Order: sequence, then structure tokens, then C-alpha cells
Amino acid sequence: MISLVGFSGLLLSFLFSLVIIISYFFYNKKYLGQIFYYSIYLSFFAIIISFVSLIFAYVNSDFSNYNVFQNSHSSKPLIYKISGTWGNHEGSMLLWLVIMACYNFFFSFNKELDNDVKKLTIFFQTSLYLCFTLFVICTSNPFLLNSIEVYEGLGLNPILQDPSLAIHPPMLYIGYVGFSLILSLSLAGLIFNKINIKWIKTAKNWTLFCWSMLTGGIALGSYWAYYELGWGGWWFWDPVENVSLMPWIAGLALVHSLMMTQQEQLLKRWIVFLAILCFSLSIFGTFLVRSGILTSVHTFASDSSRGIFILILFLVVTGFSFILFIFKSEDSHKKLNLLFINKTSALVINNIVMLIACLTILLGTIYPIIIEVLTNKRISVGAPYFTSTALPILLPGFLLMSVAPALSWQTNKLPKFKSYFLVFFTMSILTLVIGYYTDFNIWGFIGITLGLIIITSSILSMYYNSIKFKSKNFFIYNNALIAHIGVGVMILGVTCSSIFQSEHNQTFVLKETKKIGGYSLTLDEIKISDKNNFQELLAIFTLSNSNLDQSVIKPGKRYYHVSKIITTEAGIYHDWFQDFYIVLGDEKEGEWNVKIYKNPLVSFIWFGIILMIFSGLIGIRKE
Amino acid sequence: MKFNLLFNKPSFLLVLSILFFTLLINNVNANIEDNLKKITLKLRCMTCQNQTIYDSEADFSLDIKKIVIQKLQNNETEKEIINFLIQRYGEYIVFEPQMNKQNIFLWFFPFVIMALSLVFLILRIKKN
Amino acid sequence: MKKIILFLPLITILIVSSFLLIFLLQKKDPNKPPSALLNENLPEFKIINLFDQTQVLTNSDIKEKIVLINFFASWCAPCKLEHPLFFDIKKQHPNLYLFGIGHKDKVIDALKYLNRDGNPYDYVGIDNTGLIGLDFGVFGLPETFLINSSGKIVYKYLGPLTKKIIKNEIQPLIQ
Repeated sequence: MISLVGFSGLLLSFLFSLVIIISYFFYNKKYLGQIFYYSIYLSFFAIIISFVSLIFAYVNSDFSNYNVFQNSHSSKPLIYKISGTWGNHEGSMLLWLVIMACYNFFFSFNKELDNDVKKLTIFFQTSLYLCFTLFVICTSNPFLLNSIEVYEGLGLNPILQDPSLAIHPPMLYIGYVGFSLILSLSLAGLIFNKINIKWIKTAKNWTLFCWSMLTGGIALGSYWAYYELGWGGWWFWDPVENVSLMPWIAGLALVHSLMMTQQEQLLKRWIVFLAILCFSLSIFGTFLVRSGILTSVHTFASDSSRGIFILILFLVVTGFSFILFIFKSEDSHKKLNLLFINKTSALVINNIVMLIACLTILLGTIYPIIIEVLTNKRISVGAPYFTSTALPILLPGFLLMSVAPALSWQTNKLPKFKSYFLVFFTMSILTLVIGYYTDFNIWGFIGITLGLIIITSSILSMYYNSIKFKSKNFFIYNNALIAHIGVGVMILGVTCSSIFQSEHNQTFVLKETKKIGGYSLTLDEIKISDKNNFQELLAIFTLSNSNLDQSVIKPGKRYYHVSKIITTEAGIYHDWFQDFYIVLGDEKEGEWNVKIYKNPLVSFIWFGIILMIFSGLIGIRKE
Repeated sequence: MKFNLLFNKPSFLLVLSILFFTLLINNVNANIEDNLKKITLKLRCMTCQNQTIYDSEADFSLDIKKIVIQKLQNNETEKEIINFLIQRYGEYIVFEPQMNKQNIFLWFFPFVIMALSLVFLILRIKKN
Repeated sequence: MKKIILFLPLITILIVSSFLLIFLLQKKDPNKPPSALLNENLPEFKIINLFDQTQVLTNSDIKEKIVLINFFASWCAPCKLEHPLFFDIKKQHPNLYLFGIGHKDKVIDALKYLNRDGNPYDYVGIDNTGLIGLDFGVFGLPETFLINSSGKIVYKYLGPLTKKIIKNEIQPLIQ
């Protein structure tokens, strides 16, 4: 019954979207204009009902629904029953549709744009929506019924029963899928030749929102990997991670370029190119993850018919968009005022650096596929490639970031240049001195210096701004600076947690204490308990520092009854300045093998990202 | 011009010499355990999803670790050990794409494009 | 010049998509990398006979024969699935040299397994250290290799064989 309601909602949403498309062409009949808008609301309403039905089916453990049967179990905690809705291929595609419809719905209330551009944007957004809805109905229907009667589901992978992983897909999709609206806006703007200030303001706000949510979504995924996967890493250059990073970088370049045009320097063509690129990369990413072409911790179970469908969808959408781009994009009439070095050229360098980094990641991700097709040999393009190429390419961008917001548009003079130079010099020397007393490492030096330079220069700029603007509208003038400080903080975190990570392998018997760095660690107790759907063994450690402050760390192992899987859960102690990360190994005759990682400045990573998201969201405003 | 802060001679030379010195230091004092870690961090566990042999506890990884230890004890170099494994398991087992004819495009593309765009940009700035 | 640059994104998409399409259509399995030894010579080996540990088999003993090498083990569940098929292969191709290798298996266990489930092989070797498998690039059982009469490895399959795979992929190569 619920499945029927759900499927009807899906079908109705598809039909109403068709009505939108058809009614668009009868623009001169007045009542059809109303049908156009009401169909948007109805289509939106219908897909919400569909999605809620699926959630209902999960919550009620309705195993007559094949999707629920495959992915759920009556013993799962309620929260994970709900999040299980989108923890599988079909359900997550339904979520994708819901979010696409949301964007269409909320966009329809826009009052800034000209009516023709607005309606054409909705038209394109709806066309995209139709394509994806067709994909779901034909190849990924979550409302298929079970042909046999069953009383229990097949349970969900215990690794997915996790709070971060529950919010990770929705947040990721709000960003990822949101770029579809940006694409629709671009196509509409191209056709009517109205990539003007009004268009840019609208695009800027939506892009900032999408990008911020995408940042959050990616960060949640990394955070989850950090505490779940058991070896203290949070980014592995896994193809699926790369696939979310590419639209993020393109989106960031787009955000910067959109900012630029508000100051007379117009790069229309480049903006439209980036706008099309963002969603193209999103579709491409979806293809890689769901087609079965890659193997990863992250891929959904899939078959090649889905892959071919998405590939064709990708070709049609991006082919059409780029063809339109070739024939309809307009050259800017004003020539760019490029000096060395003013804000315009800084932004151009920023764009170049980001686009090349994005292309490099793309190349690295698909290169194994190309080589295997050509030579039938399989190669790996892993972390070493990306850290040797994409990261160095980004370095000039990071360096420029420290002073770019303070640069002038017109001249190549940096106001208060001497103070910035002093900052650079001081930070370099400071880091050298610190490096002298600790383990010196060239990448450590570069990372820390860059991070410090960015943070202190940005604070300096904020100070000068406060003098100039007298703390009027603090957030408007310092928006970019807050974001850059976030980047600087994150760079410090990334550098220190990777380069200065220390690893200790120890064995513990009960009540034993060992010294790790300047701390002592004691194994107090081994506790075994029965939880909801698993049995847990916890090793309870106490960590004390030289001041005798104590914290408890509980690494453990879990045995899930239904799936018969044993997972290892790391015990983590978070501090502002380091994380203690403990992984429980095997036990032999009362001696437990324990891996202890000391990760400096990990919290800076998450804090820096939060600053970036914050600054992105506060940049959204009506002017 | 105003941006030669890091490029002014004294600080640049200072940085360069420290760099050189640390590169020298890092290559002494490596024992078998460190080399094992270094090498197995570069290798892929063939039965896992995207994990290194160092991090993985799978049977395959444990076997490969034993083999690497044996070869290190025989004073084989890292290059020899990795080539030994590549011969049998293919380049897939190494996370870093090898520098050979097949992968030239992969390795040079980013830097070539970067250089070209910078040249282009510099020319445009000069024109202004 | 500008027009050419404008066409670049479109051209790139078309090229990349065609590679992806070909890859998809070839139904390549991301969990089964192609063997590094394809079209290479058979690795040098010396393997002890499971039934008579004083006897060994080396490359020269199977020179100029068409050989199907099957790595198996008594503890390997999927191996049991493909085991019966080898009797059919041997019946259909009596000139094919069927060579089984007990990989990381104990002599006692391998003998028990073959006594119970039958022995379709012309020769069974025992590789209890796994070193022979290492030279072949074995990492998961079962794995099957086809060697042509010039001593080159022309085919490898990872996983239990099925009738379909034998018919579509192995038999054409034996002719």
C-alpha cells in the first residue's frame, strides 16, 4: 500500500513536470501561465509524498517493499531506519529527485530576474528533472514489490549505521544536485543573452548556498572516514572522493568569478563555462559511482544498464549545454585590466590554478580506465599522484590568497604593502625557528608558513578594514577574509596532522600503564555489553598528561548479530591541539595489541571548514 | 616589483640550504621496520577496497609483508622489491603511477598546462 | 583561435565518454584486474607432486603442450563450485594438459579433498608456501591460467569457472 502511494507520487511528479514543459510553450495564454506555476508546486508536492512514503515504509519495516527488504531490518534503531532510506542506490536517487524539485520550487519564488529568464530556467530545471525521474522509474525504482512474503529484512551494513553518515548524503546532495539550478540558470541566460548584473546576483546567491552545503557534505564524509575507518586518515583520493571534490573546486572558482563581476570586470564567458562545468562534473560523478565501473568503499551495487543510462544522460545534458555555450556565449566588451598584481589578475590566477587542479584530479581519476581500454592493463592512480600534482599546483593560489582581498582593482599598488611584507617575513622566520627545534620537514615548513601567512595577513586586512569602514557591516567587508582564515586554519591542520603524526604500537595487559610522548595511558577495564543490534567489547583507557588531567578513551570492537560482521571502532580523544586515536587490535593470552596515533591539530581541519561554510552562507544576501 | 619577498636572496638561500640538509639527514638511519612501512604504504592490498598493504590485516597483505621483510633482509632495494611485485601483479599493485611511456601524459599534463597558462598570462599582462 | 578553445570542452567530453562507454560495454569487473602476465612467458617453476613428494614438475616437462593451470585449495569454498567442470573439460579436450596446484594448502588436506571430490587433473602440484602462486600473481582463489603451446600465458580467469565462461572464452583459445 505504501509502495503504491510512493510510486504514484513519483509518477505524478513526472506527469506534472511534463505539464510544466508543455505549458511553457503556450506563453501567451494567460491561464496557462498559472498552470505553469501550479504544476511546479504540484510536482514538488508529489515527489515529497513519494519520498515520505518510502521513509514510512522503512520506519514500519514494510518488507513487502523490495528496497526496504534489501536494506533494512526490524532491529535497526529508528534513526538508522530513516537514514537507511537514502543509504542505498534507489533511495538516494529518490532523494536526488526531491532535492532537484526543491530547488525548482524555491527558485520559482525569485523576484529579481526578468520573467523570461526565470521561466526558461524553470523549464531547463524541469527538463533535467524529467531525465532523472525517467532514470529512477526505469532503472532504479524504490517502490518495487517483493514477489514473496517475508518477515524480516536483509539488514543494513553496520558501517552505515552512523550519525555522520546519516546526514552526509542529504547535505552532499543539496550541494551537488543544487548545481543543476546553476546550469539551468546559465542555459536560460545564454539563450536570452541576459548574463547581466541581475543574473549574476541571483547566480551568486544560489552558488554560495550550494557550495557551502557541498563543503559541509564532503566534510561530514571525511569526518566519518576519520573516526570510522580506523587508520586516522580522512582523505584517501579514492575515486569517489575525487568525484565530489571536482564540482567543489569548480564551484569555488565560480564563486570567486561571480564576486569579481560585481566590480565592473566581467568575465561572462568564463562564468557560464564554470557554471556548466559544475553540474557536468556532478552528473559525471554520479555516473562513476553508480555504474559499477569503479571499486570503492563507497560504490553502490549497480549494473551496467544504469551506467549506460547515466552516461547517455551525461552526454545529452553536457553536450547540449556546451554546444549552446559555443554558439551563444558572448565575449566581454570590456578588456580585462590585468596588472601585476591587482585583484583582477589575482582572480585570474586563482581561476587558472583551480581549473588546472580540477582537471588534474579528473585526469588522474579516469586515467586507469583509459589505459585499461587501450592496453588491457590496469594501473593505479592513487594518493601519491594527486599530492605531487594537484597540491603543488594549488600552492600559488594559497600564497596569493593571503593578500588578494586587500589588492586594488585599478592599480598594482598594495596599500600598506610594508606591513604585509613584514608579516610574510616574520612567519617564515618563526616557522624556521620552530622547525629547527623539532623534526624539520620541507612540506611541513611550507604548509605551516602558508597557513600562518594566510591567517595573519587576513587578520591584518580585517584590521585595516575596520579603520576604513569603522565596523559598519562587518560581515560584508570581511566575508572573504573569514573564508580565507578558514582555509589557513585548515592548511595548518592538514599539514600538522599528516606530517607530524606519530604512531605507536604497544601491547597492554589489564591495569598496565605505558608512556606515550608526554602522556601516560592506562588500560583500566575490558567491558562487554549487549546493545541494540550488536554486542560490544570496549577497552577503557585513561589518558593522563603531565598535569594529571585525565580523559577516557574507549576503542572497541562490535559484533553485529544479523550481518555477522565484526567492526573495529577507534577510540578518539579530541583536544584543540591534537587527537589521540586508539585502535584495538588482537588479543593474545591477555595481551592486547593497540595502535596509538597522536594526530596534531586535527581539530583545525574541521574548524577551518566550519569557517568556510559560515562565510559562504553569510555571503548570501539581497542587495 | 613588490612581490619578491620570498625571492629575496638571503631568505631564499637560507631555506634552500636547510632543505638540502634535511634531505641528507632523512636518508641515513633507515632500518628494516621503517623501510617495511615505507614500502608497504606504497602498495595496494589486492583483496581490499583501496587500502594500503601497511594498513590492511588481510591474508594477502600479511603474505606480502612477509615477502617484503624477507627481501629487505636480503638487502634488496626498494626499487627491486617493487619491480618484483609489479612483474607479478601488474602496476595496479602500486598506488603511484610509474614513470614510463604510457604514463607520460598523466605526469606532464598538469605542469605543461600550468606553464602554458602562466606564459599566456604574463604575455597578456605585459601587453597592458 | 578563440573558437577552437570554445570547442575544447565539448571535444573532451566526447573523447572521455567514448572511453567510458567502451569500458562499460566490455563489462570489465573492477574487482578483477587483468593479469600482468598476459602474453608473457610462463614463469619458471619447480613444483612438488602432491601424490609423490619426491617427484617435481618443471617448465620443460610441459613444453609445447597446451596447459590449463588451476590454482585451488581444500579450504576454498568457490573452488568446490568449479571442480566438477574440470572433468567435462578433460573429456572434451583430451589433449589439454590439466594442471592443478594446491595453493597454500597442506598435503593431507589436499589429498583428502581430491579423494572425496575426485581428481580431474593430469598433474597435481602442492604449493604450500604460496611462492609458486606469488610468481603467477595469484591473490584470490580460484585462479585459472591457459598456456599455449609456445609457453605463453594467453588467458587468466579470477574466480570459479562457469560453463558459459569455458564455452565463450576458454574453448576458442584451445583450438
